[in-house]
Amino acid sequence: MTRLVDVPAQFDDRSFEQFAGAYAAAAKDGERLLFDAHAAEWASPYGLVGLLAAGQAAHRPGSADRPLLTAPTQPDVLTYWTRAGFFREAAELFEIHGKLPRVKPAEQSDVLLPVTPVRAAEDVHAVVSKIQQRASAILASELGLDPKATMGFAMALSEACQNIVEHAGTGGWVAVQAYHWRRKLARRVVVIAVADAGVGFRHSLEPTQSKRFGARWSDAAALEAALVQGISRFRDPGRGQGLAGIRRYLARWDGKIAIRSGTARIAIVPKWDDDVPLKDGLPAFPGAQVLIIIPEQGSTTP
Amino acid sequence: MIQHIDVHAVLQESVSGVYTDLVTRPTGRVVRERIERAMATAQDPVTVTRIDFTGVGCIDYSCADEIVAKLLRDRRAVVVLSGISEGHREAIEPVLAGHGLAALVERREGGNGELEALGAPEAAAALVDELVARRLAVRTPAGTIALTLA
Repeated sequence: MTRLVDVPAQFDDRSFEQFAGAYAAAAKDGERLLFDAHAAEWASPYGLVGLLAAGQAAHRPGSADRPLLTAPTQPDVLTYWTRAGFFREAAELFEIHGKLPRVKPAEQSDVLLPVTPVRAAEDVHAVVSKIQQRASAILASELGLDPKATMGFAMALSEACQNIVEHAGTGGWVAVQAYHWRRKLARRVVVIAVADAGVGFRHSLEPTQSKRFGARWSDAAALEAALVQGISRFRDPGRGQGLAGIRRYLARWDGKIAIRSGTARIAIVPKWDDDVPLKDGLPAFPGAQVLIIIPEQGSTTP
Repeated sequence: MIQHIDVHAVLQESVSGVYTDLVTRPTGRVVRERIERAMATAQDPVTVTRIDFTGVGCIDYSCADEIVAKLLRDRRAVVVLSGISEGHREAIEPVLAGHGLAALVERREGGNGELEALGAPEAAAALVDELVARRLAVRTPAGTIALTLA
């Protein structure tokens, strides 16, 4: 029997909870999953890498059947997902239904970094090298960031990707895109989205932190420990610098970070956003999903 | 003796490909171990090790911790960082401050070899006092310090 998971028509970090709920309900009895994206109209980088993480998690050990994916039917949506590099990665995870256009992942567009797999330190080197070549002009000319901010951006991206390599226990994906965020800010933004279907923050920190938290130990507590307190699973005192560094960078450029793991989601919320700092009791979703948003500089009144 | 270590060259030997960025813990670890080996096997007694970051693109916090903080923690010699850009400083400074450490940084343009201490303020002041007391550095009229070794 195949269970259906609807992909939201507007698939971003907000509608991700609807998707995660559908995934959790469909995945609980271990049947083969069909991800239905035929009605998709738009997907943010977060939606695209999140869908790949779901496909990774939906793989059933011992089964040759991959989860199914119905591709979007709208040609422009299909073209965009292809240019964003989604189908290149999805082809390994899903049995895809639908005719895919023959376009290459974008090299010159607002897709600063197409959906890119991150499995090892070498991948992080490639991502950082590529992003510096492409992001510099957009960060300075379109977002009004100091040209020196490009290096900080690369640092933030590097640390976000390293979370996969060091903590997930599996591979994941990263995507970076610039776009005009009409609905929320009426400004241009650069978005970094990183997702994996690995062990998640709670499991990663459990050996060193669960005793300290006792009965309060949870996905939310683990996220708070990592992002707010800079705690790492490693006892080395230099660990935990990555997320702290990302926070410093975002504070300087009025940016936002949100991390979802397991049943919780934590966010450092800038003034221009109305997100909730910590949500618990969300539908269970494997691994960790990170969203970083850097807005065009100037007034960011919502 | 001042030993010169070219980090860009060490990086090129350490990672495959042609990357110029010091990113990821494994890369930082390999680069630091090579630097430590070079420091340990220098033929003449080394008083100061100048670690030159010229040509290095981005340094992330993990590499700043793995290389700079750990080299300073071991204190095998006086470490001077040179070729440090604003971007490098953004990664190195908070990492040092977090450890309560300080490093000497050679001023880049028009610095005439003058140094400043970077990192935790108390550690920076103590580092300068120690170098002056050991006569490895002198305070300049401009309020900076300079190495006494050529």
